[in-house]
Amino acid sequence: MFMHILKYELKNGLRTKDLIIWLILFPIILGTCFKIAFGSIYEKTEKFSSIPVAIVEESENAAFRQVIEGIEKSDEPFLKASFTDKEKAEKMLDDGKVEGIIFTSDNISLTVKEKGIRETMLKSFIEQYKVREKIAMDAINTAPEKAQEVIASLTSETASSCRDIPLTQGNPDMYIQYFYNLIAMVAMFGCITGMHITMQNQANLSPLGARNNCSPVQKSISILACLTGSFILETICMVICVSYLAFVLKVDFGDRLWLVYPSAILGGITGVSFGFFVGSLTHIGEKAKSALLVSISMLLCFCSGLMVGNMKAIIAARIPWFNNINPAAVIADCFYCLNIYEDYDRFITKLITMAVISVMFIVLGFVTSRRKKYASI
Amino acid sequence: MENTVIKINNLVKRYGDLIALDHLDLEIKQGEIFGLLGPNGSGKTTTINCLLSLLAFDKGDIEIFGKKMTPVSYDIKKDIGVIMQNVTVFDELTVYENIDYFCGLYIKDKAKRREYVEEAIKFVELGDFRKFYPKKLSGGLLRRLNIACGIAHKPKLIILDEPTVAVDPQSRNRILEGIQELNRNGATVIYTSHYMEEVEQICTRIAIMDKGRKVAEGTKDELKRMIKNTETITIEILDVPDNIVKEIASLPHVYDTDLSNGKLTVYCSGGKHNLIRVLEVLQKNELSFGRVYTELPTLNDVFLEITGKALRDKEE
Repeated sequence: MFMHILKYELKNGLRTKDLIIWLILFPIILGTCFKIAFGSIYEKTEKFSSIPVAIVEESENAAFRQVIEGIEKSDEPFLKASFTDKEKAEKMLDDGKVEGIIFTSDNISLTVKEKGIRETMLKSFIEQYKVREKIAMDAINTAPEKAQEVIASLTSETASSCRDIPLTQGNPDMYIQYFYNLIAMVAMFGCITGMHITMQNQANLSPLGARNNCSPVQKSISILACLTGSFILETICMVICVSYLAFVLKVDFGDRLWLVYPSAILGGITGVSFGFFVGSLTHIGEKAKSALLVSISMLLCFCSGLMVGNMKAIIAARIPWFNNINPAAVIADCFYCLNIYEDYDRFITKLITMAVISVMFIVLGFVTSRRKKYASI
Repeated sequence: MENTVIKINNLVKRYGDLIALDHLDLEIKQGEIFGLLGPNGSGKTTTINCLLSLLAFDKGDIEIFGKKMTPVSYDIKKDIGVIMQNVTVFDELTVYENIDYFCGLYIKDKAKRREYVEEAIKFVELGDFRKFYPKKLSGGLLRRLNIACGIAHKPKLIILDEPTVAVDPQSRNRILEGIQELNRNGATVIYTSHYMEEVEQICTRIAIMDKGRKVAEGTKDELKRMIKNTETITIEILDVPDNIVKEIASLPHVYDTDLSNGKLTVYCSGGKHNLIRVLEVLQKNELSFGRVYTELPTLNDVFLEITGKALRDKEE
């Protein structure tokens, strides 16, 4: 009997337009929009890209040239150098084609037009070079046969002093967070499938529920089969969503993609369980209940900062316990931990919290749905 | 007692101050097509819902197949086929899949189920629509699908709650014929409706309900014998002087008259040749008239006389 109901639950679910729209098309469309909208901004503003700089060699400095060439050949060069004369360099600076001009003579100097992070980085680079050059020269004077080795280390040490240092092996830029938020929102939308379980199994919620209650099938078996079907459907949707973001849109989830999948799937299960519980509470029509659930989900997503970045912090300051029971906040937190912290302690804690919340919703949903007779239909 | 399929004893159901079922007693025998007739809100569907243990009730007992009916009476439920007032099918499953789903809740054996589903499809003549989704079906076909979902597992007791609402006459006739066929095949049928013609046509015994009470019960002939009206004569006539109306009213066996909307209606109780006597009065007074017709009492007349109101609203 369980398999019979499960089979038709899956068939019915896979053909339900609401499910396809909200759990498959919605993340694909919104994810694509995010990629188009944020991708270019990210490239322009956030990504650590090479700093264009003009180099005017007033006198030959072989060591410095070798360092610059070494940096440019590296995997992530932070400088893009143009060797030119003073006049052209000044024009390039005026035109904004370079961020600064480095003059090499006995004393290396830097000219910039504006003040900013990239200009500061150039200044820092020059200062680092000067310090290390002095150390290197002393070393060469002491052991001239190691000159090449010293210059090579001068290149690597100077370059490494000016690079992007991630806190984790993930991708901690703020734009990836939008995609995590999108996954969390889709997980919460799983509540719609959870709601359908109660509509289908409670006689006072729909004619179909009443009809199913007339059959000789134990209610617990029917609900379990429907829950299993919804979990499978939600898992399929979450896998499609994460795969589309990772492999089609090429969103960089770092080397923790394999952990994004189980987090998203567990998030989806939490969403379904939430819908099952809320659906079993109220005695209103299907459309009204659907609208109510989507509204509650959106509100919880809003409170968890999925729409306004600092909302979660505001909630945490005023009603800190709420973030611990808000399923949307827990799902988002899980991704946040995955993204920010190198260790897995917090991430595992959030996974356990999601599992506990899901079990709690399922048990409460069962308790509410188990009533066999109704006062009114 | 042996062949009693359903026994409802002193059933009371309240919704707050409203009494939906007022000390209802019913006994339905095996092989009957039992009609529950009453206007909307009379308690027919509430009775069915209590019978199926969907609704909690305040007082009374319900026995089906000689056993007390409870929500967990799965051994009783497996022999009951239910056709709800609303069409209860899955929009995203085809005709075949819907019937298979509901049949599968009762029949575990796949081969047997396949056979039963095919028989049900054939029975409701939906063979050409087996791959159709419910949205693509007309109202009549949808009702037939609803019936197929309820009877595919070959139940001993079939409960049909207003299965012909919003159905065209052709489909309605097909449904009614089908119900009679199911009964001939051995099923006991409970049929609720507010269409007296349907109940008259197919039911072997009828209970008339009003305001949660059973106001009359019996075969259609027994019910009609309960009232004094035996014949209603209607004559299309423009005007009739009061003295002539009084003369007609004083004729033997005439117990009431009504002159309105260009029609003279004469209500008779027993007797023979009532029509001839009425026409003789009109002829004697040289009054011309149009069509003349007589009607035997209907269940609506029974209901009207017992409750003082018509069974159906005029717009129905």
